[in-house]
Amino acid sequence: MIGPIAALGRGVARRVTRTGALARFFVRTVGAGVTLSPGGRRVVRRVMVNQVWFTALQAVPIIIVLAGILSFLVISQTVRELGRVNATDMIGTLMVVAIVRELGPMLTAIVVAGRSGTAIAAELGTNSVMGEIRALEGTGIDPLQYLVLPRFVAAIVSVAGLILLFDCVAVVAGLAAAVMNGMSSARYFDIVLRSLSLSDVWLTLAKGVVFGTVIGVVPSFHGLGVRRATGVPIASSEAVIVSIILIFIFSALFVAVVQ
Amino acid sequence: MSAPLAFADVVLDGSRTTTVALTVPSHRAVLVVGEAATGIDRLGAIALGLDTDHGGEALLFGERVAALSRRAALAFRRQAGYVPEGDGLLQNLSLAENIALPLRFGSPLTPREIQGRVRVILGAFRLAGAGELRPSEADDEQRRRAAFARAMVFDPSLVILDQPFDGIGIGAAAELLDLARGGETADGARRAVFVTAKALPDRLRSRFEERYRVTGGKLRAES
Repeated sequence: MIGPIAALGRGVARRVTRTGALARFFVRTVGAGVTLSPGGRRVVRRVMVNQVWFTALQAVPIIIVLAGILSFLVISQTVRELGRVNATDMIGTLMVVAIVRELGPMLTAIVVAGRSGTAIAAELGTNSVMGEIRALEGTGIDPLQYLVLPRFVAAIVSVAGLILLFDCVAVVAGLAAAVMNGMSSARYFDIVLRSLSLSDVWLTLAKGVVFGTVIGVVPSFHGLGVRRATGVPIASSEAVIVSIILIFIFSALFVAVVQ
Repeated sequence: MSAPLAFADVVLDGSRTTTVALTVPSHRAVLVVGEAATGIDRLGAIALGLDTDHGGEALLFGERVAALSRRAALAFRRQAGYVPEGDGLLQNLSLAENIALPLRFGSPLTPREIQGRVRVILGAFRLAGAGELRPSEADDEQRRRAAFARAMVFDPSLVILDQPFDGIGIGAAAELLDLARGGETADGARRAVFVTAKALPDRLRSRFEERYRVTGGKLRAES
């Protein structure tokens, strides 16, 4: 009887400890940014630009395809169905609430977590196994500054930028769907723009920052924790799973607290 | 003045059978040889406060690095050069960039000054034509030379080398050891050098002023 309860308790304790370690890792990463030397800042900027290239620019095609198809399907179906009950005005609300506020940020973050989160965890895991992390620390270089900080900042910039791109593409694809289903473009824009407010844009950007933070920090944390080569794929998949769970949790928190 | 490096009651293996007490004096090259199972490959990391699970005391320039804050420890470690086992070069940087990296983070030099210094160091370590190679494109000796060069960029007074000569010839190893010593002064080597190795050929061993071997859980001086 006590055995299973003890096992459960150990599991919970392990999770709590891990969550605490992740939180400390985040705080130390932010702290590492504050104490950067001017020379270090130059290096971090260069690494960050490379990361933005990989995380954001190379993800542009997939985001365009995803946003375009999703929006086209949703708006096509909705215009057709709502047209029957003379409620096509509702597509503005649908576009803003469902796609711009919720699905856009979440799907973008999941794509980036799957694509770049895996890469970050695998790369830092390999650095760790190869003894490069220890070598950096031994020569007085903070791995948080050189490896984690640029990925952290790049993830925020990339996710926020990609979410804005997703939303723009979704609105344009929605236009195509609406026009193909008999709605004029002027009416479409009138309905959508009437539903869209500046606070939606801020909210989208805020989600970009939060989801970017998750994608920058969680895979780095898992990657740097790798001790053996066999741990690299495990860390990569764990990093993505934890990132996606956190993205869902923070999405729910945004709805519950902010909206 | 305190010795650059000192170990007291450092336990190296989990079964608590290998205990090390050792001082590395200034201007001396000190060698510790032992099987991998003795845990001597941990000594470099212990000295720098990177490995703290040893139950004893390691003093680097009289300071317990492990007791310093993370930031202070990172800055303090720049006083010593370090070549970890397997070189530890970053695979996505060229050899020249690997050498420049500690200077970029830990010195007030401008990028142009760093470039100039790296060029000089590359020349000194006979890497002038290999600076742009990635570690995966370089051979064992070039990688080892780059790792040594990176350890010397701050011109430290102590160099800590873990298994530094694995995979390279005696001639190159002797040359790198001389570079690590930094030339000779009236008191001995310009830098103190601390090396751990599983085994070394006699021709190289004779270049160390002090030699120790870990046997039977004890550190014994070799004649």
